[in-house]
Amino acid sequence: MNTDYKIAWVHLTSRIRQLLVATLSVTFGISMYIFMNSFMSGVNDTQTEITFTSMAHIRIYNDLPTGTPIPIMKEPMEKNTILMVDNARHILYTEGMKNTDPIVTAVSKISDVQAVTVQMNENVFLQNGVSKVSASLSGIDVPNENKVFNTSHYMVSGDLKELDKRTDAIVLGTGLASSLGLSNGDNVTLTTSDGVTKNYKIVGLFETGSKGTDQTKAMISIYAARQLYSKNKSYATDIQININDYNEARAVAVEMKGITSYKIEAWQEGNSQLDSANVLRNITAMAVSLTILIVAGFGIYNIMNMTVNEKIKEIAILKAMGYNGKDIVKIFLTQSVVIGFIGGIIGLILGFTISKIVSKIPFKIATLDTLPINFNPKDYILAFVFGIFITFWAGYLPAYKASKVDPVDIIRG
Amino acid sequence: MNALKATNVVKYFRTPEPFKVLKNVSFEVDKGEFVSIVGKSGSGKSTLLYLLSTMDTDYEGSININGTLVTGKKQNELAAFRNEHIGFVFQFHYLLPEFTLLDNVMLPALKLNSKSKEEIQNRSMELLDMLGLKGYEHKRASNLSGGQQQRVAIARALINDPAIIMGDEPTGNLDSQNTKIVFDIFKDLAREKGQTIITVTHDEEFAANSDRIIELRDGEIIGTQEN
Ligand SMILES: Nc1ncnc2c1ncn2[C@@H]1O[C@H](COP(=O)(O)OP(=O)(O)OP(=O)(O)O)[C@@H](O)[C@H]1O
Ligand SMILES: [Mg+2]
Repeated sequence: MNTDYKIAWVHLTSRIRQLLVATLSVTFGISMYIFMNSFMSGVNDTQTEITFTSMAHIRIYNDLPTGTPIPIMKEPMEKNTILMVDNARHILYTEGMKNTDPIVTAVSKISDVQAVTVQMNENVFLQNGVSKVSASLSGIDVPNENKVFNTSHYMVSGDLKELDKRTDAIVLGTGLASSLGLSNGDNVTLTTSDGVTKNYKIVGLFETGSKGTDQTKAMISIYAARQLYSKNKSYATDIQININDYNEARAVAVEMKGITSYKIEAWQEGNSQLDSANVLRNITAMAVSLTILIVAGFGIYNIMNMTVNEKIKEIAILKAMGYNGKDIVKIFLTQSVVIGFIGGIIGLILGFTISKIVSKIPFKIATLDTLPINFNPKDYILAFVFGIFITFWAGYLPAYKASKVDPVDIIRG
Repeated sequence: MNALKATNVVKYFRTPEPFKVLKNVSFEVDKGEFVSIVGKSGSGKSTLLYLLSTMDTDYEGSININGTLVTGKKQNELAAFRNEHIGFVFQFHYLLPEFTLLDNVMLPALKLNSKSKEEIQNRSMELLDMLGLKGYEHKRASNLSGGQQQRVAIARALINDPAIIMGDEPTGNLDSQNTKIVFDIFKDLAREKGQTIITVTHDEEFAANSDRIIELRDGEIIGTQEN
């Protein structure tokens, strides 16, 4: 064993109590870092999951063009003629998208795209006896809808697949059903904005956890919806697209530009509050956990500083015997790195244990059963790296100071 | 070739007020010579010894050890130089209290790393035995008396067979019997191994028995006396 390490080892083992305190502070810092970040990313994911039960990462729809309307007539050539357009405005000549099949095919070919579904969204009235409420009706392509929104997962009774079996089947949000006084198996009357009325049978109820959705949304099969509104075979109002990483939605939306002239909208547009809430939560978790780690760093700095002051005579004597500055740095830096390493390993285990315990705590709100915790290897690696980094510097500064000790000053007394 | 040569060495202390401690000190020591430095308290003996030992580099003039000009060398070079060529016994014993006697003696040799660990260990045992510390090898240094610690420090100074051994009152804490042991060891090293010994001492008998006495007063050499 190298002599410097041997000296470091003797120093460490002759002060078990200080070693313990320093190690514990690192352990605490690292386990808190892991717990905070695992919890925050769990919360973020839950939030995102709830968000994406009713919203896809990218949506394509027929929108009014923005900007100043351009007259359809060309600017006249003759100098003495002027073109005057009174009350210029955009007009939506067609509603929805007539032929969505080529768009869906083209979009599906993009490698980042995970799932695509088409929807027909209309506002309708639902009536049961005297109670009448407005609802947003979604004509859905059941298998693809499931791939994008995982809708089956939110069914509290009945079966979503029933929608494909009969054209008069409907599923309602739990809130909507209760405001109509209906339950699974009952009948409901639907009236479109054009005044068409049809009877439906409730084949299921769903609850997403988002109240707005649960109180207003009803779903039928898109084939039934097209029939109801007398639309052609591949008509839809929305194409909903999920991609592999929802953070990349903007970039993928740009990639889709050439496919269609309809509006392509990434989820962040108009939902920046969700995006910023995620970012803010991450920043908070980072800041708090880094602060804890830095405080642990100060603890080590303090202990190592004390050690150096305590051992200043020994440092002087070692230097007098021919140990150079590098040896001294090595002796003291080794001690703090060992503390960081042991504290780090225990911290990883403790952080995992705390996260595991907390993830078992019952928490029944929305779709949650227990507190949300993510087990992300990245958090563990980062915690360890930060921990070692901070203990390294917290140890290096006193070690550097030790290496600069002038032996004559000390030995002269 | 001289074992040591100091030329016009001048040393100032700047604090608390500017003060010239050593004034143009020049002298030479031959290889294998056993020299005592004497003088009243405060005459600059320790200060001179720190300069000669290369630990203090803040001086004017030049110092040559074993034909190497040490003046102006970098700290790390000097550390390596001390490790190999100079053994030092301080006015107050300075041992590493958490280590055993054996470890303390072995440390400079482990740093030099020119012999195997077994050889170093055997040699350390021999030295401790020679200094009357047989049986204490595995005791912690902090559990010893002052005189015992001083002898351990001497063993440590000898472990690398340095060309020059410097001592700042190495026998200051020892009784007459142990002083005699140390003196005899020094004498032997000078005679038989040709190692050079330079010690500051207040012990007149010790000085009188060495080869040469250099007397300092107020930072100047006021006389040398060959015995
Ligand atoms: N760090 C310092 N700063 C200022 N003056 C100092 C310092 N160290 C020593 N001195 C002064 O330098 C002079 C020489 O001190 P030195 O220790 O060399 O004396 P000495 O001959 O070894 O004495 P002693 O026999 O008591 O050990 C003294 O006057 C002392 O006060
Ligand atoms: Mg002195």
